[in-house]
Amino acid sequence: MAKEKRSVLVTGGSRGLGLAIAQRLAASGYRAIAIARNEGKHLKAAIAHAEQTGQGPLHFEPFDLGKIDEIPLLVRRLHKQFGPLFGLVNNAALGYAGVLATMGDSKIEDLVRVNTLSPIVLTKYVVRGMMSAGAGRIVNVASIIGVTGYSGLVAYAATKTSMIGLTRSLAREVGRLNINVNAVAPGFLATDMTQALDAENMTKIVRRSALHRFAEVEDVADAVEFLLSDKARNITGTVLTVDAGTTA
Amino acid sequence: MSVKAIIMGQIEQIAREHGKALAPLSDDLVLMESGLDSLAFAVLVVRLENSLGIDPFTAAEDALFPVTLGEFVKAYEQGVVRSASATGL
Repeated sequence: MAKEKRSVLVTGGSRGLGLAIAQRLAASGYRAIAIARNEGKHLKAAIAHAEQTGQGPLHFEPFDLGKIDEIPLLVRRLHKQFGPLFGLVNNAALGYAGVLATMGDSKIEDLVRVNTLSPIVLTKYVVRGMMSAGAGRIVNVASIIGVTGYSGLVAYAATKTSMIGLTRSLAREVGRLNINVNAVAPGFLATDMTQALDAENMTKIVRRSALHRFAEVEDVADAVEFLLSDKARNITGTVLTVDAGTTA
Repeated sequence: MSVKAIIMGQIEQIAREHGKALAPLSDDLVLMESGLDSLAFAVLVVRLENSLGIDPFTAAEDALFPVTLGEFVKAYEQGVVRSASATGL
């Protein structure tokens, strides 16, 4: 299949890492479909830019990934509009921080719903189409926090670890059908999710990394693009860490 | 083509694609002894949804997966009729 005909769904594609991934894929010739509750000015500008520069189309599909029951209809709608989906990037996530002992139950529930339940159900319905087509690529955005642990991010960490479990087992389940499933584990990036960190913590994080700097969203977008590409045809069930060496 | 013929055709095609040796296809064939594994059945269900427009098993929380091939075919035949009635065809 020629790359420009490949459609890739990117959840949480209206800002931050998701937007960077969607923009990168459109620039590389994919048809990138960015899913988010709201389009936002950044995605709107990115769509206009992609059109003006003749890049692979970049589309916005409004959807609240917390509405689990509506996911099957979403996937059906996307298939009807765009044809079979070649790729899925499960990027959307909530990042509530707080000591577990005093975190509201509803916040914990929201985290699990959006960060774990939603990507699993979305993957279920998208992978069906890939099984029928006999090909596909899934990239799950996990986190180094899902591997190393971080005080104040217990519930978030649990959901990110779930992305690694989803990746490894699904890779085993559907590998025979030419569907690759991998994860990327970003370290701390300069996005909205890390804005809340104070200067002292930011300095500590930078010092802890082997390269003494933050990784950037473009680095993670590079990794996702690679895992979706033909160059990664024999890579599956793995976690690609992009953290400037924080976990080295 | 009848629903049964479509199903049999897909089973045979999937068996070929997956390199599986099929047991003789009869109504009382126990699905677990057909030669297809769970992944191949998942592919079958997905392809039948594409061609028949229904999936009697995945959507309904309480749907039991049939034991025999005859029950499997019947689930689809009934599902196609229900779907046609619902759309007024």
